[in-house]
Amino acid sequence: MLRSCLVDGGLDEDRVRQVVRLMLERKPREYIQILYHLHRLVKLELLRRTARVESAVPLDEEQQGRFRDVLGRLYRKELDMSFEENSALIGGVRITVGHDVYDGSVKARLERLKGQFT
Amino acid sequence: MSNLLQEIETQIEGAKSSVAKENVGTVREIGDGVARIEGLTDAMYNEMLDFGDGVVGLALNLEETEVGAVVLGDFTGITEGQEVRTTGRLLQVPVGKELLGRVVNSLGEPVDDKGPIENDTHYPVEKIAPGIVRRKSVSQPVQTGIMPIDAMIPIGRGQRELIIGDRSTGKTTIGVDTIISQARLNRAAEEAGDTNYRPLYCIYVAIGQRQSNIAGVVDVLEKAGAMPYTIVVATSASDSATNQYLAPYAGCAMGEWFMDNGMDALVIYDDLSKHATAYRQISLVLKRPSGREAYPGDVFYLHSRLLERAARLDENYGGGSLTALPLIETQMGDVSAYIPTNVISITDGQIYLETDLFYQGVRPAISVGLSVSRVGSAAQTKAMKQVAGRIKLDLAQYRELAAFAQFGSDLDAKTQAQIERGKRVVEIFKQPQYNPLPVEIQVAVLWAAQNGYFDDVAVDNIKDCQDKLTDFLQSRKTDLLKKIKTEQVVSDEIAGQLKAAVEEFKPTYTQ
Repeated sequence: MLRSCLVDGGLDEDRVRQVVRLMLERKPREYIQILYHLHRLVKLELLRRTARVESAVPLDEEQQGRFRDVLGRLYRKELDMSFEENSALIGGVRITVGHDVYDGSVKARLERLKGQFT
Repeated sequence: MSNLLQEIETQIEGAKSSVAKENVGTVREIGDGVARIEGLTDAMYNEMLDFGDGVVGLALNLEETEVGAVVLGDFTGITEGQEVRTTGRLLQVPVGKELLGRVVNSLGEPVDDKGPIENDTHYPVEKIAPGIVRRKSVSQPVQTGIMPIDAMIPIGRGQRELIIGDRSTGKTTIGVDTIISQARLNRAAEEAGDTNYRPLYCIYVAIGQRQSNIAGVVDVLEKAGAMPYTIVVATSASDSATNQYLAPYAGCAMGEWFMDNGMDALVIYDDLSKHATAYRQISLVLKRPSGREAYPGDVFYLHSRLLERAARLDENYGGGSLTALPLIETQMGDVSAYIPTNVISITDGQIYLETDLFYQGVRPAISVGLSVSRVGSAAQTKAMKQVAGRIKLDLAQYRELAAFAQFGSDLDAKTQAQIERGKRVVEIFKQPQYNPLPVEIQVAVLWAAQNGYFDDVAVDNIKDCQDKLTDFLQSRKTDLLKKIKTEQVVSDEIAGQLKAAVEEFKPTYTQ
């Protein structure tokens, strides 16, 4: 079902809506559970296409553009970017793409250092 | 040139500050030591997962959107939503001679109070068994020191011999006796400076045993001085099913190190019934489909991949060996249950212990008819072959005749003699626990029995007579025993000397 919602490897929002609407209209057996499962798959698919960039200080346009370029090249697809400010990181950035995490924050380094001592 | 150096320096700097990619998942569900983790798209099968705070898990189910993992250690601190990271490492345990004399858990961490284990060699817990090219057929004996086994069901180095029987029929005792026997042989060879003797190191793996039982075994081994040649991998009934499941593989990895380094090792898995039960528990909680007796479909592979790792390596590959003695507990003597039949079909023979025999006082309670070693006499010294060649057949015939004789019919002299001889051999094969006998004593006693020197001794006095003969030989005929041990054959000369020795002893023995 999820596969029918994909166009060129990417999720087509209209198709997803269509599928959900059809399911609710026709009400096949156990349709609620099926929809829950679809919801989860869509959530994971969206997660895979989203890059979350957290930084200690806000990033300017140019920096954001560079992140967009580099990540786009790395994953060979266009990612939905979201930029957030997170002062808890102390310094540096933390990028999450799907289930991959690139943690270059000062906080993570301190944690690693702590791990080495204990 | 300076440009090149600068370039390298910048590259090194760049490498230092580069951020490693991590694969992260979140715990969706946790219970009974099994976690279901969403994400972790890069996780490998059997990979170690980092739950943080030193807690690690093992990825066992790789599914479309999530990973099923078993947690090693304390899982009570893990909460839903917690982050889990892949480590890129497979589960491994420390191996090496430093572990000898120690009691460790299934992760190779010491659980005795003898301090940390200093070693830097590790082996993966799961390893593919050596292939056909690296193997060689079994030809060297493992002297268990248990007379009926060494005489009738010989075990060779690299063999897999199952010890099967109901509860409390002496399965563990056979394992422990074998360890003690190896320790004595190893020590004797060390003291004599015999470099030709290949020491056999033992690994005792306790799977889901009572703590008191494990403590008992360790105590016996300590008292017998066997611990310096032994590693105990202990998982008690209170350990998690995961640790019980891993223990035999950990023990096997420790044994493989000896094998790979040209040495000989013996692993005792006590017992694989509990191992199958622990695996069943994990599988059910991981929601794997269950089959017969609710065991998962791969319960055969669970044991076959473990026991296949026992091998005798070719000289070109170091010539080491790993012998496996798995134990299986049956219910009401039913060998046709699921797990027993599986393991019987994997191993190279079985030693079947019978409850009836045990209570009749025949201890070790080995059933001659049902016990077999598929390696056979290839793993016996020539001397033992000479004295014990026909004994298994004779005993089997005796049992049949004895059953027939119960009808009270008159028997001819030959049958009568066969029955009388059989009764005496059964007596001779009785042996107290933790008292393995050296092979030369076994040969001498069996020679005396085969040549009818015990025929005129009353059956009740056979054990006494045998003990006194043993004392006599050990105190007065040490040269003869040494000769049997070194030559490993009963030559005409040795037979003559044995005859003289037994004939010298017989008149001194009064019943």
